[in-house]
Amino acid sequence: MKLHEITLTVNGTRETVSVPAGMTLLELLREKLYLTGPKEGCGAGECGACTVLLDGRPVTSCLVLAVETDGKEVRTIEGEATDGQLSTLQQAFIDAGAIQCGFCTPGMVMSARALLERNPHPSDAEITEAIAGNLCRCTGYESIIAAVRLAAERGEK
Amino acid sequence: MIGVFDYVRVSSVEEGCALIAAHNGGAVALAGGTDLLVNIRNTGRSPDLLVDFKDVAKMNQLVTDETVGVKIGTCVPLNVIADNKVINEHYRALAEAARSVGSYQVRNRATLGGNIANASPAADTAPALLVLNASVSVAGKDGTRKIPIRELFTEVKKTSLRIGEVITDITLPPVGPRPRSAFIKKQRVKGHDLAIINMAGYYDPDTRLLRMAIGSCAVTPILLPEINLSGHEPIDGLVKRLNAIAQNAISPIDDIRASAEYRRGLVLVLLHDLLSMLLGAEGGADEAT
Repeated sequence: MKLHEITLTVNGTRETVSVPAGMTLLELLREKLYLTGPKEGCGAGECGACTVLLDGRPVTSCLVLAVETDGKEVRTIEGEATDGQLSTLQQAFIDAGAIQCGFCTPGMVMSARALLERNPHPSDAEITEAIAGNLCRCTGYESIIAAVRLAAERGEK
Repeated sequence: MIGVFDYVRVSSVEEGCALIAAHNGGAVALAGGTDLLVNIRNTGRSPDLLVDFKDVAKMNQLVTDETVGVKIGTCVPLNVIADNKVINEHYRALAEAARSVGSYQVRNRATLGGNIANASPAADTAPALLVLNASVSVAGKDGTRKIPIRELFTEVKKTSLRIGEVITDITLPPVGPRPRSAFIKKQRVKGHDLAIINMAGYYDPDTRLLRMAIGSCAVTPILLPEINLSGHEPIDGLVKRLNAIAQNAISPIDDIRASAEYRRGLVLVLLHDLLSMLLGAEGGADEAT
């Protein structure tokens, strides 16, 4: 099988890897770079558990080919904390009780991260629209919306 | 691995079309991939080669011009269209339709060209493009041509594109000074879902021309015949008249999202809602002028 050599930046680190064309970005992140924060739920762009930021915009990494990300910048949940300190957004998820099983959380946080970067003071309707592509089956969405609101109040952006 | 295939990123339309032509039907164009990659994964059938057009500069441009209209490159993501000021002001149905496709993440990848090339009867942007009288520029190894959007869709997931042709851009002609257009969609859940029915309408209060299109109710999205709203016609009468036309034009099926009978009933409701939006709550063409 033909391999393509690509270079991308993941959470600030340049990575050069060889990938087959049929490998998804999610598979590259999890299986070659060992970043297991992004999860595979549906594999069809429905659940959002694999959400990462591609050049600053949230995408479902199960529907992006790794080979398409040559020269691009990717951010995952692993890039949130710095020096062992949770980001304000991550802490807000804990403080608002927006975490239960944790499967949706990495994608949910990345969708919220992108929202706060483009709109530091979102309305509840804007938060709802931003996370509509992230399914959660545990906490319900109220506490997650509260977490994003709390992060915005604490000046996260 | 979602499949076994090769991949080439091209920098010009000509390069991409030549590659597709050289593969005798084994190569397909890749834009956002949000339909194509799911299809490959679900069917287990891969093309030999994906030709990625996202680096072709002119396929990524969205150009607005008052005299020419709006030209949207095939690879422009739906979120860019949903957020564009000119499209929101003058071609509102398309902005609303683009915003209703999938989730925010999917719309960062999904493209306008891909949504119509995939040719699902439920494609949300299709009814909007139909009422806005869009045309599609296509390129192939033998050159380029333009297809009115109303001649693009032929069957479920089939278009009048010839083998090896790709859509390069979609053009919306200029609209009147006070254009009104809108898009509505009935879906099973609020968050994101395919349409049970989607519908778009366009009304020009100066010329009194009205166009309506319905999706997810036949093998292709359906554009109803254009109507001139001369004279006063109460909205209830107009809804009845359009419903009679629509019921003849559609052929809905029972599927996982709804029954055919439900869809037929829903057409009447959505026609009423959409016409109320376009003509005003009091209804009637006179009210709108």
